[in-house]
This record gives sequence, C-alpha cells and structure tokens, in this order.
Amino acid sequence: MLASRAFSLVGRRSICTSLCLRAHGHAGVVKAEDFTLPAYVDRRDVPLPEVAFVRDLSAQQKALKEKEKASWTALSIDEKVELYRMKFNETYAEMNKGTNEWKTVLGGVLFFLGLTGIILIWQKHFMYGPIPHTFSEEWLSAQTKRMLDMRVNPVEGISSQWDFDKNEWKK
Amino acid sequence: LARGIQHTAVRQAHRKYEPNFHDKYGNLVLLGGTAIFTTVWGYVLTQLGIEWGLSPVGRITPREWRE
Repeated sequence: MLASRAFSLVGRRSICTSLCLRAHGHAGVVKAEDFTLPAYVDRRDVPLPEVAFVRDLSAQQKALKEKEKASWTALSIDEKVELYRMKFNETYAEMNKGTNEWKTVLGGVLFFLGLTGIILIWQKHFMYGPIPHTFSEEWLSAQTKRMLDMRVNPVEGISSQWDFDKNEWKK
Repeated sequence: LARGIQHTAVRQAHRKYEPNFHDKYGNLVLLGGTAIFTTVWGYVLTQLGIEWGLSPVGRITPREWRE
C-alpha cells in the first residue's frame, strides 16, 4: 500500500480535482453491440487500455483535445488532470485501494457459525437422550484405573502418560 | 519534483469517496458476529451439558475398581 501511494505521488498519474467529476465514461446501459468492440478496463496489468475511458466527448472536452495537439507546456495542471480523467477511469492508487470488505465477510462467517451453534443447542434440548451412566465421574475413574492396570496402549497411548512409580499423570 | 509531490499529496488528501456498505457497517457486522459466535459457542461448550468425550489424561483421578 505504501509502495502504491509512493508511486502515485511520483508517477505520471495523480488524483483529479472536482473539475473532472463531470466527464464520465460509460453510464448506465451497455448495448449488445458494445460487446463486440474493444473495451476499457481498470486492471493493474493493463496500463494502457484499448480505448479511452470517456467515449463521447463534450464540446469542452473536444476543445481540450485540440489544445492537447499543441505544446503541452501550454496546458494548466487542471487541464492535464482533465485529459487524464478522459483517458482513464481510476488511478493506480484508486485501483489498488483496499476495502473494508473483510470485516463484512468475517463478521458474516462468525454469525453463521453462531447459528450452527444454535442448531446444536436445539439438538441437545429436543433430540439427544440422556448421557449414558458410563460417563459419570465414578465410572470414568474406575474405568481409567482398570485401563492402566491392564497397561492399555503402553507405547504412545494412555498408559504411557501415567507415571506408575509416583502414581500420578506424567507432567 | 519535490514540490510536485507535495502538491499531489495535498490534492490526494482532498479527494473523498462515497462510503460503501463495508465502510458504514463493516465494524458493526464484525463485532456483532464475533459477539454472537462467542456467546453461543461459550454456552454450547460449557453450559449445555454435551458430553465432549475429553481425554482422561490429566483430568480423571483413577479409582480402585475391583470389588
């Protein structure tokens, strides 16, 4: 982002002033025939699109195009910017600008994951039966001791996690 | 060239864009979604009474089982 800002400061393209807001390119409806013609596109890898952005020039813009044929030192800054905006829609800075879209995306994702949790709540309340008695604390503690006495999974499993000398779980 | 950069920077700072949906509501959606997510799943994971089948290692103290 810093690099694109630096480029837009030093490079040929710059942000336009309010003068340029008038001349807009393609407004509203695109006719079917237009799809056969070369199109304008704002893409980082297409620095010079096939056509200029503004297709139909007003009388004022046509006059400016005529002035452009003469020496460019005669053009004012605003005129140069106007010529730029006739040829291009967005500057590279505008094209590359990030958005806040990720907030909406992430927030939406978390919301729907929350809805999934609500489905779980419904299931537990209306669907699941009682938890089997073999999950009670007394049963689990007896079960665990029996597994350790039998040396269940001694290599990498549960018995490998128990310290048989100190009679406690390994740290 | 240095003055040109300064001029350009000033003009760029004046440019204003119409805020879109994400600018207006992005923070709200993000925080709201996070809040809903944490409350719902906090409840599901701890209060609801679902048996998650966690490992007994480090959790269960073995108890004599032989009668």
